[in-house]
Amino acid sequence: MTEIERKFIELEKKKEKALILYFTAGFPSFEKSIEIIKKSAEKGTDLIEIGIPFSDPIADGPIIQYTSIKALENGINTDKCFKLASLLKNIINVPYLFMSYFNPIYKYGIEKFADRCVESGVSGLIIPDLPYEESFEIKKILKERNINLIYFLTPYTSQERTKKIVRKANGFIYFISIAGVTGPRESLSPETIQSLKRIKKIRKISVALGFGISNKEQIKKVKKYVDGIIIGSFFLKKIIDGKIGEFEELIVEFKKELKTY
Amino acid sequence: MLPDRKGKFGIFGGKFAPETLIEPLEQLEIAYKKISKTKEFKERLNYLLKEYAGRPTPLYFAENFSKFLGFKVYLKREDLVFTGAHKINNTLGQVLLAKMMGKTRIIAETGAGQHGVATATVCALLNIKCEVYMGEIDVERQKLNVYRMKLLGAKVIPVNSGSKTLKDAINEAMRDWIANFKTTHYVIGSVVGPHPYPMIVRNFQSVIGKETKKQIIEKERRLPDFLLACVGGGSNSIGLFHPFYKYKNVKFIGIEAGGTGINTDKHAATLSKGQKGVLHGSFSYILQDNYGQIKATHSISAGLDYPGVGPEHSFYKETKRAEYFAVNDQIALKGFHILSELEGIIPALESAHPIGWLIENKKKFKKSDIVVVCLSGRGDKDVMEVAKIEGEL
Ligand SMILES: Cc1ncc(COP(=O)(O)O)c(C=O)c1O
Repeated sequence: MTEIERKFIELEKKKEKALILYFTAGFPSFEKSIEIIKKSAEKGTDLIEIGIPFSDPIADGPIIQYTSIKALENGINTDKCFKLASLLKNIINVPYLFMSYFNPIYKYGIEKFADRCVESGVSGLIIPDLPYEESFEIKKILKERNINLIYFLTPYTSQERTKKIVRKANGFIYFISIAGVTGPRESLSPETIQSLKRIKKIRKISVALGFGISNKEQIKKVKKYVDGIIIGSFFLKKIIDGKIGEFEELIVEFKKELKTY
Repeated sequence: MLPDRKGKFGIFGGKFAPETLIEPLEQLEIAYKKISKTKEFKERLNYLLKEYAGRPTPLYFAENFSKFLGFKVYLKREDLVFTGAHKINNTLGQVLLAKMMGKTRIIAETGAGQHGVATATVCALLNIKCEVYMGEIDVERQKLNVYRMKLLGAKVIPVNSGSKTLKDAINEAMRDWIANFKTTHYVIGSVVGPHPYPMIVRNFQSVIGKETKKQIIEKERRLPDFLLACVGGGSNSIGLFHPFYKYKNVKFIGIEAGGTGINTDKHAATLSKGQKGVLHGSFSYILQDNYGQIKATHSISAGLDYPGVGPEHSFYKETKRAEYFAVNDQIALKGFHILSELEGIIPALESAHPIGWLIENKKKFKKSDIVVVCLSGRGDKDVMEVAKIEGEL
């Protein structure tokens, strides 16, 4: 069992849903990103997704594009991301994952990348441009090291494909709630709810909903269908705008919402 | 016939795309396979290629240039096709396909503006809404083409992310498509992107090679010894090469943009200097740094200024079916001038690359050799830029 899987079980026992936050490594700076991650863990975040910045993030909206480019300009690279993760080992006690586009992982060397994940306490990998069909080799390498490769699903994924992916998924399923790239959105579609119900019928697997979550009302509406929610752009925007106080309050507020259902 | 079911050419290609794009890509592949085989589609496309775009284009024996080099050179005159470059072969096919799929909106990316203009042109003709993503830097360098697209009724959307050039325009077009695929078709401009794009664009551009084959047999009663073309994303070159794939005596040579030299960091010679990796949804050669970040590129010709290349070219390189070389800006300029002076044909700076390479490497050829060069576009769009570089303006 991985740290991630253990976390979901622990939360289920407490009748809580997971609050998963995304941060871009090295934004606004190497030190500040560690500080922010530490704060967010203290305020109640259950899982942390650390983005390794990529020059061409096709699945991401303007906010994550911005933080990625800034972080790269600040000199972040894959080795420094591992360093950041290693430092987190002694700073926070919630599991953390890496989110990286495939090319930086491929270039680093998949096995070497996986080994360094183990060393630095990374318990899962999210690769937004690696589809299920191309994932078997890397999944095997990660599995040998007790690291989860997280699969994606969307409301538009065909039923047949959904079945295939759900059966092979581990850790949790990253469910993208709307068609489109990352970034704050106002509402959630009925298709989303439909697909979420469908997944649960196939197999008991944790599902986290991502892309477009920005307020407590949304959380209230969806929490009964999922095991966690993932928030990226919305909180990054708070950091960009320097609203650190508001950032901390919202984490507490969102987590509170996820504790009762 | 490649690609295989996973969209692979050997190890290259595939569908390295976000899950949100998998369904649209699958729908596109199914629609393409079904619709492109229908009599209605074929007749309509052939009609438009002939009557609207002006195909077939001549395979012109460049007598003066041949004398200058010492062997026979034919030019496949894609510069004479409507809108002045081969790009329209692909846009006619894709926009027609989109219409028959019931899409109501077209998006495209453009670097130099050639593909944007070709897309906007066909969208005007077929009466479908068109929006073109273009890097802010390119919008600035290619003002004339921006205005052309506007005249044709298209909306040009400047892209200010990343390096603000072609690769970022592709990123932005993909993001748009992810969000709007139900109504929108994304007309990609070269043999790049996730499967099925490299296959679809190749098939639409193969008209170049099919015509060439027929024409050279009529003129010479034999197949050529060499095919030469510039390689940006790789569509005019694949279009020329692919129909000759099984004729192993016909050698393929692709010429990339060497910029200020392939040993500097200002070039776009992806196959010559790149390494394997994933960009824009396919596994191919790419220009990247030690951490797999995509590198900025440079070429005198905006159409070759791209850090990736179509996966089928990577396959040709790996299997040694084709050879790839790079020439720098200066040699391309030399080709630009010599062809203008000797034949009265001003080539696009992209097409000037293989011309320049031939001049530099003429000793490698025998008197009896027959060489076909794809003249992918005309040079009018580049005249101002060259005049500026040479201090004439
Ligand atoms: C005239 C011309 N030739 C060649 C190219 C390069 O594209 P490809 O390698 O796809 O043929 C372009 C691209 O804009 C072009 O405009």
